[in-house]
Amino acid sequence: MSQLFPMKQVIGFVFSILLTTIALAVYFLDMSFAAGMTILLVTAFIQAGLQLVVFMHAGETKDKGAIYTNVFYGLIIALVTVFGTILAMVWDM
Amino acid sequence: MDFFDRFAVPHPSVAIYASMAAIGLTVIAVIAGITYFKKWGYLWREWLTTVDHKRIGIMYLLSALLMLFRGGVDAIMMRAQLAVPENTLLDAQHYNEIFTTHGIVMILFMAMPFIMFFMNFVVPLQIGARDVAFPRLNALSFWLFFMGAMLFNISFVVGGSPDAGWTSYFPLAGNEFSTSVGTNYYMIAIQIAGIGTLMTGINFITTILKMRAPGMTLMKMPMFTWSALIANVIIVFAFPVLAVLLAMGTLDRQFGTQFFTMDNGGMDMLWANLFWVWGHPEVYILILPAFGIYSEIISTFARRNLYGYKSMVGSMVIISLLSFLVWAHHFFTMGQGALTNSIFSITTMAIAVPTGVKIFNWLLTLRKGKIVFTTPMLYSMLFIPLFTLGGVTGVMLAMSAADYQYHNTMFLVAHFHNVIIPGVVYAMLAGLHYYWPKMFGFMLNEKIGKWTAWLLSIGFVLAFMPMYASGLDGQARRMYTYSEAAGFGLLNMISFVGAAIMAIGFVLIVYNIYYSTRYESRDISNDPWDARTLEWSTHTPVPEYNFAILPEVRSNEALWDAKKNGHVLFKGEYEKIHMPNNSGIPFIMSCIFFVWGFSFIFSLWIPVIVTTLGIFGCMALRSFEQDHGRYISVKEIEETETNLRGA
Amino acid sequence: MKIDNSLPLEYGTEENSLKILGFWIFLGAEIMLFATLFATYFTLVNRTGSGPTGAEIFQITPVLFETILLLTSSFTVGLGIHAMRIGRQKAMIAFFSLTLLLGLAFLGVEIFEFYTYVHEGAGIQTSAFTSILLTTLGTHGAHVTLGFFWGLFIILQVKKRGLTPQTTNKAFIFSLYWHFLDVVWIFIFSFIYLKGMM
Repeated sequence: MSQLFPMKQVIGFVFSILLTTIALAVYFLDMSFAAGMTILLVTAFIQAGLQLVVFMHAGETKDKGAIYTNVFYGLIIALVTVFGTILAMVWDM
Repeated sequence: MDFFDRFAVPHPSVAIYASMAAIGLTVIAVIAGITYFKKWGYLWREWLTTVDHKRIGIMYLLSALLMLFRGGVDAIMMRAQLAVPENTLLDAQHYNEIFTTHGIVMILFMAMPFIMFFMNFVVPLQIGARDVAFPRLNALSFWLFFMGAMLFNISFVVGGSPDAGWTSYFPLAGNEFSTSVGTNYYMIAIQIAGIGTLMTGINFITTILKMRAPGMTLMKMPMFTWSALIANVIIVFAFPVLAVLLAMGTLDRQFGTQFFTMDNGGMDMLWANLFWVWGHPEVYILILPAFGIYSEIISTFARRNLYGYKSMVGSMVIISLLSFLVWAHHFFTMGQGALTNSIFSITTMAIAVPTGVKIFNWLLTLRKGKIVFTTPMLYSMLFIPLFTLGGVTGVMLAMSAADYQYHNTMFLVAHFHNVIIPGVVYAMLAGLHYYWPKMFGFMLNEKIGKWTAWLLSIGFVLAFMPMYASGLDGQARRMYTYSEAAGFGLLNMISFVGAAIMAIGFVLIVYNIYYSTRYESRDISNDPWDARTLEWSTHTPVPEYNFAILPEVRSNEALWDAKKNGHVLFKGEYEKIHMPNNSGIPFIMSCIFFVWGFSFIFSLWIPVIVTTLGIFGCMALRSFEQDHGRYISVKEIEETETNLRGA
Repeated sequence: MKIDNSLPLEYGTEENSLKILGFWIFLGAEIMLFATLFATYFTLVNRTGSGPTGAEIFQITPVLFETILLLTSSFTVGLGIHAMRIGRQKAMIAFFSLTLLLGLAFLGVEIFEFYTYVHEGAGIQTSAFTSILLTTLGTHGAHVTLGFFWGLFIILQVKKRGLTPQTTNKAFIFSLYWHFLDVVWIFIFSFIYLKGMM
């Protein structure tokens, strides 16, 4: 039975529950917008990284260069699109 | 009868009725012809179900040429309407429809499939592969594109063409101002074709990353393959934006959501913003493969290796990132602050730098080269000065403060035609002449080809240079007429003459194909241009498995290396070759998509539900299907090889 | 068919490794798809017109349920892949079935949530904010629904054909998809719900 529950994945799961709980602090505690956003950004991106490495096995084959390049390229373009859009449509309008 | 009223064209004219009759007759003639010559079986087995990248490529080419003429007719009608002041050849509504469809057809249904043709036909051959990574997905990509294009084209005779510009800005494209189903066609037809394009992107990235011949490292890939790789990376990250945008547009028009409306918080400017988040990378999707083709042609006919290979690659990688950082320059005048405009001004000007690097690389490749002026080379030589001019006016437009003067004038129209025609269209035509012998086993006539290149260039200069002047004088784009007092008459007449000369050029291309099919020699070698890369190392016509033995490569000009340095490309014995089976599912699924799209456009929900289930049914069928492909035996390979060598 | 035994079965053939890389690239495209939705969401979040704001309609309880359900399903599908790799077909099917059940429960809560929104006067046509809110959640939900059927087909195939290079490859790619949906949910949870209720 225990071989069906590898340590790495169990720890990964515990960690993701923990990060969710930390993120919940912004709801239950009273804090400034900046502090809340910082917590959310940090926990969300760590969670995403956790899924990528622990559960999705992104780095296990020789294609890992291509896979990581692809994900980071996507991430950069995604951030540029999101923040560029907010800049042009909200902040600087 | 009420039910059928919705399919009527809301704004009919003699021209539209004539086209209806013409389209109907052509369809009947084609069906009758195929039946008479008993070609249905051949068509189904060899083309409709094919998964061979070369045949899919040729189908892309045919679609692109077809659409080139549809878009070209739109263009000549526009120029004719504007040739004299207060002309009444077209009314405002028809003019709106024509400039809208001209833009969409030329960008999405002509230039894109032309690029897809080159990628499909050339990339696997150039990297020494036997097919693309996912041959069946490739067939699905083509058929989705094709059905999208056909769906878009029937808008002309069923229900009405879109008329809100190729950018389809809201609120003009909203229900209030675009009451016909025309804009629904825009949303759905482009959506279907776009899904196909996205899948092509995924397919070719995987192909190029994983299926290169032994020894071909990334930095030993031919330049066209590099450009295709980068263009496909841009496709993968830009086309999802378009998919979401079109879906939101559809929701707004057909389901009453409030994304781009004028009240309840809707924001029409967001459409323009997201449209260009996709739209600007899109122009680099078109131009980068064109640059790749020029690189191949210039180095072949200068008889020199490409100057600055690494800087060529580096500049393309930089362009791919920068292409996502400049979109707001399409709407400098929309009202965002100076900070945003300044940022996007600077990134836009920055993109001229890697492009300039490429121009200098081509010039330095020519230096001390033994230049051979073939038709493809002639196009490339005309490209360099004309494109540079377009690039320079682009930098003018990039300055946000000055853009307030140029915005939405003919100056802008002149600029983007000045980069797209010499940049993309010339590359397509140069590539067409260059790869024609590999596809069909004979060359296109050189003399007619050169005449065409010169006619197109003279026509181009006459058609578009006057627009810079009339634009600076204040002639707005998308206006269907102007008063005599405005004084634009002469400049527009010159433009019309130029457009007519270009039209003659395009007709000459058709004539050239006809003439060469009849009279050109079939006795050509596998490498008629004395070229440098792997696609010329296999037989003409290319056997279905491309290479009997996979080549071993040690430089980025593998064939040249073999010819000049005696490197042996093909080592070893024949082995049986694994090939994918043909499949009807891509074609059938795309046909269902066509019906789905058509029903969706007219809000016929019952057929939409039925076809949606049909599409998922095809996917489920595919999931459970077991198809391990087939093998070509060593004996068959030997026979094919002997036959081809004898020819 | 050449099978490389140094790698897990799902990578075993060349075709298999092509498919896995191809799917990763597809996920790159999915990142952009959701990024576009997020960009739209952040632009329209305060444009509520005459409709309610996020703070007025969001409730922590269903959101927490959805989050726990999806996080757990992501864990179980990971265990399913692990079981598959050590050749335990039955355990793998059990984990996959559990995953799909959790996915179904997630969808149930989401449907309840949508029903509540519409009842509170926050339909998809109400305002720009509700339009993009429901479109973003709906797109994610549609992905989960599609994943449910996809996963179901894979369970059926593994049952029928056993753990072959083809079935394991499909199962692995499915797991990538499912984990990815979890990642997207984390962003929805953080930047739509928690930010909205902060």
